[in-house]
Amino acid sequence: MTAHYKSTVTEIGELVPAFIAEGMLVFFGEGAPEELRDFCIMHEVSHKQDQLVVGDYVVIDSYEFEILAVGDVANENLMNLGHLNLKANGNTQPDLPGDVCIAEVELPEIRIGTSFSITRR
Amino acid sequence: MADYKAVHIEKGPGGWGGPLTILPTDDAPLIYSVTGGGIHPIAARIAELTGGEAFDGFKSSAPFEKIAVAVIDCGGTARIGVYPMKKVKTVDIHATSPAGPLAMFITEELLVSGVKLDNIKPVD
Repeated sequence: MTAHYKSTVTEIGELVPAFIAEGMLVFFGEGAPEELRDFCIMHEVSHKQDQLVVGDYVVIDSYEFEILAVGDVANENLMNLGHLNLKANGNTQPDLPGDVCIAEVELPEIRIGTSFSITRR
Repeated sequence: MADYKAVHIEKGPGGWGGPLTILPTDDAPLIYSVTGGGIHPIAARIAELTGGEAFDGFKSSAPFEKIAVAVIDCGGTARIGVYPMKKVKTVDIHATSPAGPLAMFITEELLVSGVKLDNIKPVD
Protein backbone atom coordinates (compact mmCIF):
# COMPACT_ATOMS: atom_id res chain seq x y z
CA MET A 1 0.00 0.00 0.00
CA THR A 2 1.51 3.34 -1.03
CA ALA A 3 0.53 6.80 0.06
CA HIS A 4 0.16 9.34 -2.71
CA TYR A 5 -0.91 12.18 -0.43
CA LYS A 6 0.33 12.76 3.11
CA SER A 7 -0.20 15.50 5.64
CA THR A 8 -0.28 16.30 9.35
CA VAL A 9 -3.01 18.24 11.16
CA THR A 10 -1.68 21.55 12.51
CA GLU A 11 -4.78 23.41 13.70
CA ILE A 12 -8.46 22.65 14.42
CA GLY A 13 -11.07 25.41 14.13
CA GLU A 14 -13.71 26.13 16.77
CA LEU A 15 -16.62 25.14 14.52
CA VAL A 16 -15.11 21.81 13.41
CA PRO A 17 -17.32 19.84 15.87
CA ALA A 18 -20.47 21.24 14.14
CA PHE A 19 -19.21 19.83 10.85
CA ILE A 20 -18.19 16.51 12.42
CA ALA A 21 -21.73 16.25 13.86
CA GLU A 22 -22.98 16.33 10.26
CA GLY A 23 -20.41 13.72 9.20
CA MET A 24 -18.06 16.16 7.49
CA LEU A 25 -14.40 16.99 7.79
CA VAL A 26 -13.24 20.11 5.97
CA PHE A 27 -9.50 20.40 5.38
CA PHE A 28 -7.51 23.36 4.13
CA GLY A 29 -3.79 23.69 3.47
CA GLU A 30 -1.43 26.30 4.85
CA GLY A 31 -2.17 29.77 3.53
CA ALA A 32 -5.96 29.52 3.85
CA PRO A 33 -7.48 32.88 4.81
CA GLU A 34 -8.14 33.55 8.47
CA GLU A 35 -11.93 33.42 8.08
CA LEU A 36 -11.82 29.81 6.89
CA ARG A 37 -9.82 28.61 9.88
CA ASP A 38 -12.76 28.68 12.31
CA PHE A 39 -14.48 25.74 10.73
CA CYS A 40 -11.70 23.80 9.13
CA ILE A 41 -8.88 21.45 9.91
CA MET A 42 -5.59 22.96 8.82
CA HIS A 43 -2.94 20.54 7.67
CA GLU A 44 0.60 20.68 6.44
CA VAL A 45 1.11 18.64 3.30
CA SER A 46 4.37 16.71 3.15
CA HIS A 47 3.78 14.67 0.00
CA LYS A 48 1.44 14.93 -2.99
CA GLN A 49 2.02 12.77 -5.97
CA ASP A 50 -1.23 11.76 -7.56
CA GLN A 51 -4.94 12.53 -7.73
CA LEU A 52 -7.39 10.60 -5.60
CA VAL A 53 -9.82 8.20 -7.25
CA VAL A 54 -12.71 5.98 -6.18
CA GLY A 55 -11.28 2.88 -4.47
CA ASP A 56 -8.38 4.74 -2.83
CA TYR A 57 -8.32 4.84 0.96
CA VAL A 58 -8.39 7.83 3.27
CA VAL A 59 -6.23 6.99 6.29
CA ILE A 60 -6.64 9.05 9.45
CA ASP A 61 -4.14 7.85 12.08
CA SER A 62 -4.91 4.09 12.23
CA TYR A 63 -8.39 4.32 10.68
CA GLU A 64 -8.95 3.48 7.00
CA PHE A 65 -11.93 4.47 4.89
CA GLU A 66 -12.50 3.45 1.29
CA ILE A 67 -13.37 6.33 -1.05
CA LEU A 68 -16.79 5.72 -2.64
CA ALA A 69 -17.21 8.90 -4.70
CA VAL A 70 -15.09 11.84 -5.86
CA GLY A 71 -16.67 15.12 -7.00
CA ASP A 72 -15.58 16.89 -10.17
CA VAL A 73 -13.62 19.65 -8.44
CA ALA A 74 -12.34 17.64 -5.45
CA ASN A 75 -8.92 16.96 -6.95
CA GLU A 76 -8.48 20.55 -8.10
CA ASN A 77 -9.30 21.74 -4.56
CA LEU A 78 -6.92 19.25 -2.98
CA MET A 79 -3.99 19.90 -5.28
CA ASN A 80 -4.29 23.71 -5.37
CA LEU A 81 -5.53 24.57 -1.91
CA GLY A 82 -4.98 21.46 0.22
CA HIS A 83 -8.77 21.66 0.49
CA LEU A 84 -10.90 18.57 0.98
CA ASN A 85 -14.55 18.08 1.98
CA LEU A 86 -14.69 14.56 3.34
CA LYS A 87 -18.24 13.31 3.88
CA ALA A 88 -19.17 10.17 5.76
CA ASN A 89 -22.52 9.77 4.02
CA GLY A 90 -22.18 6.50 2.13
CA ASN A 91 -22.89 8.18 -1.22
CA THR A 92 -21.55 6.59 -4.37
CA GLN A 93 -22.55 9.70 -6.36
CA PRO A 94 -21.26 12.98 -4.92
CA ASP A 95 -24.03 15.49 -4.02
CA LEU A 96 -21.68 18.41 -4.56
CA PRO A 97 -18.70 18.87 -6.88
CA GLY A 98 -16.28 19.28 -3.97
CA ASP A 99 -17.30 16.11 -2.14
CA VAL A 100 -15.19 13.07 -1.38
CA CYS A 101 -17.49 10.41 0.09
CA ILE A 102 -16.80 7.47 2.41
CA ALA A 103 -19.15 5.03 4.17
CA GLU A 104 -21.55 6.39 6.78
CA VAL A 105 -19.28 5.84 9.77
CA GLU A 106 -18.43 7.65 12.97
CA LEU A 107 -15.46 9.87 12.18
CA PRO A 108 -12.34 9.42 14.28
CA GLU A 109 -11.13 12.05 16.70
CA ILE A 110 -8.93 14.64 15.03
CA ARG A 111 -6.13 16.18 17.07
CA ILE A 112 -3.19 18.39 16.33
CA GLY A 113 -0.58 15.96 15.02
CA THR A 114 -3.14 13.53 13.56
CA SER A 115 -1.76 12.04 10.37
CA PHE A 116 -3.80 12.09 7.18
CA SER A 117 -3.02 10.24 3.98
CA ILE A 118 -4.55 8.84 0.82
CA THR A 119 -3.34 5.41 -0.19
CA ARG A 120 -3.83 2.92 -2.98
CA ARG A 121 -3.64 -0.86 -2.73
CA MET B 1 -11.74 59.13 -4.45
CA ALA B 2 -11.74 56.38 -7.03
CA ASP B 3 -14.50 56.33 -9.61
CA TYR B 4 -16.38 53.08 -9.10
CA LYS B 5 -19.00 51.60 -11.42
CA ALA B 6 -21.65 48.98 -10.64
CA VAL B 7 -21.92 45.58 -12.30
CA HIS B 8 -24.84 43.21 -12.52
CA ILE B 9 -24.01 39.52 -12.04
CA GLU B 10 -26.42 36.76 -13.01
CA LYS B 11 -26.26 33.06 -12.33
CA GLY B 12 -24.76 30.88 -15.05
CA PRO B 13 -26.00 27.56 -16.47
CA GLY B 14 -27.22 25.33 -13.61
CA GLY B 15 -26.38 28.07 -11.11
CA TRP B 16 -28.34 29.44 -8.16
CA GLY B 17 -29.21 32.77 -6.57
CA GLY B 18 -28.69 36.39 -7.51
CA PRO B 19 -28.71 38.48 -9.53
CA LEU B 20 -26.30 40.61 -7.52
CA THR B 21 -25.33 44.21 -8.11
CA ILE B 22 -21.77 44.91 -7.02
CA LEU B 23 -20.55 48.46 -6.43
CA PRO B 24 -17.21 48.85 -4.62
CA THR B 25 -16.71 51.88 -2.37
CA ASP B 26 -13.68 53.56 -0.83
CA ASP B 27 -14.48 51.69 2.42
CA ALA B 28 -15.06 48.34 0.67
CA PRO B 29 -12.96 48.34 -2.52
CA LEU B 30 -11.83 44.70 -2.63
CA ILE B 31 -12.77 42.06 -5.17
CA TYR B 32 -11.66 39.23 -2.92
CA SER B 33 -10.58 36.12 -4.83
CA VAL B 34 -10.53 33.02 -2.59
CA THR B 35 -9.63 30.60 -5.37
CA GLY B 36 -6.76 28.30 -6.24
CA GLY B 37 -3.95 29.68 -8.39
CA GLY B 38 -4.18 33.44 -7.84
CA ILE B 39 -6.76 36.01 -8.95
CA HIS B 40 -9.52 34.18 -10.82
CA PRO B 41 -10.48 35.60 -14.28
CA ILE B 42 -14.01 36.24 -12.94
CA ALA B 43 -12.58 38.37 -10.12
CA ALA B 44 -10.27 40.12 -12.58
CA ARG B 45 -13.23 40.99 -14.83
CA ILE B 46 -15.32 42.31 -11.92
CA ALA B 47 -12.35 44.44 -10.82
CA GLU B 48 -11.82 45.73 -14.35
CA LEU B 49 -15.46 46.71 -14.84
CA THR B 50 -16.04 48.21 -11.38
CA GLY B 51 -12.69 49.86 -10.70
CA GLY B 52 -12.40 47.74 -7.53
CA GLU B 53 -9.14 46.21 -6.36
CA ALA B 54 -8.52 42.53 -7.17
CA PHE B 55 -7.17 40.84 -4.03
CA ASP B 56 -5.82 37.30 -3.53
CA GLY B 57 -7.28 35.92 -0.30
CA PHE B 58 -4.79 33.06 -0.22
CA LYS B 59 -1.79 35.42 -0.31
CA SER B 60 -2.88 37.80 2.43
CA SER B 61 -6.03 38.48 4.37
CA ALA B 62 -8.35 41.44 4.66
CA PRO B 63 -11.16 42.31 7.10
CA PHE B 64 -14.69 41.41 5.93
CA GLU B 65 -15.83 45.05 5.91
CA LYS B 66 -13.26 45.85 3.17
CA ILE B 67 -14.75 43.28 0.78
CA ALA B 68 -17.12 44.43 -2.00
CA VAL B 69 -17.55 40.88 -3.26
CA ALA B 70 -15.92 37.50 -2.59
CA VAL B 71 -15.19 35.25 -5.58
CA ILE B 72 -14.88 31.55 -4.71
CA ASP B 73 -14.42 28.25 -6.53
CA CYS B 74 -16.22 26.28 -3.88
CA GLY B 75 -17.52 22.78 -4.43
CA GLY B 76 -20.46 23.49 -2.15
CA THR B 77 -19.67 22.93 1.52
CA ALA B 78 -17.46 25.47 3.18
CA ARG B 79 -16.52 28.68 1.43
CA ILE B 80 -20.04 28.91 0.01
CA GLY B 81 -21.32 29.77 3.48
CA VAL B 82 -18.52 31.69 5.15
CA TYR B 83 -18.85 34.96 3.31
CA PRO B 84 -22.68 34.99 3.23
CA MET B 85 -22.55 34.32 7.00
CA LYS B 86 -20.72 37.64 7.33
CA LYS B 87 -23.19 39.31 4.92
CA VAL B 88 -20.53 39.53 2.21
CA LYS B 89 -21.88 39.16 -1.34
CA THR B 90 -20.39 36.05 -2.92
CA VAL B 91 -19.87 34.79 -6.46
CA ASP B 92 -19.21 31.05 -6.87
CA ILE B 93 -17.75 30.06 -10.24
CA HIS B 94 -19.07 26.53 -9.71
CA ALA B 95 -22.80 25.87 -10.14
CA THR B 96 -23.58 24.99 -6.54
CA SER B 97 -26.68 25.42 -4.38
CA PRO B 98 -26.81 26.07 -0.63
CA ALA B 99 -25.76 23.06 1.41
CA GLY B 100 -23.77 22.13 4.48
CA PRO B 101 -23.84 23.41 8.05
CA LEU B 102 -23.72 27.03 6.87
CA ALA B 103 -26.62 26.70 4.38
CA MET B 104 -28.94 28.71 6.64
CA PHE B 105 -26.87 31.85 5.99
CA ILE B 106 -26.99 31.61 2.21
CA THR B 107 -29.66 33.66 0.44
CA GLU B 108 -30.32 34.73 -3.14
CA GLU B 109 -29.40 38.29 -2.14
CA LEU B 110 -25.93 37.14 -1.04
CA LEU B 111 -24.91 34.32 -3.37
CA VAL B 112 -24.88 33.79 -7.11
CA SER B 113 -23.31 30.63 -8.57
CA GLY B 114 -22.22 29.05 -11.83
CA VAL B 115 -21.03 32.49 -12.97
CA LYS B 116 -19.19 32.79 -16.30
CA LEU B 117 -17.57 35.89 -17.79
CA ASP B 118 -20.71 36.51 -19.92
CA ASN B 119 -22.85 36.75 -16.79
CA ILE B 120 -21.08 39.92 -15.62
CA LYS B 121 -22.43 43.09 -17.19
CA PRO B 122 -21.86 46.78 -16.53
CA VAL B 123 -24.86 48.71 -15.19
CA ASP B 124 -25.59 51.75 -17.36
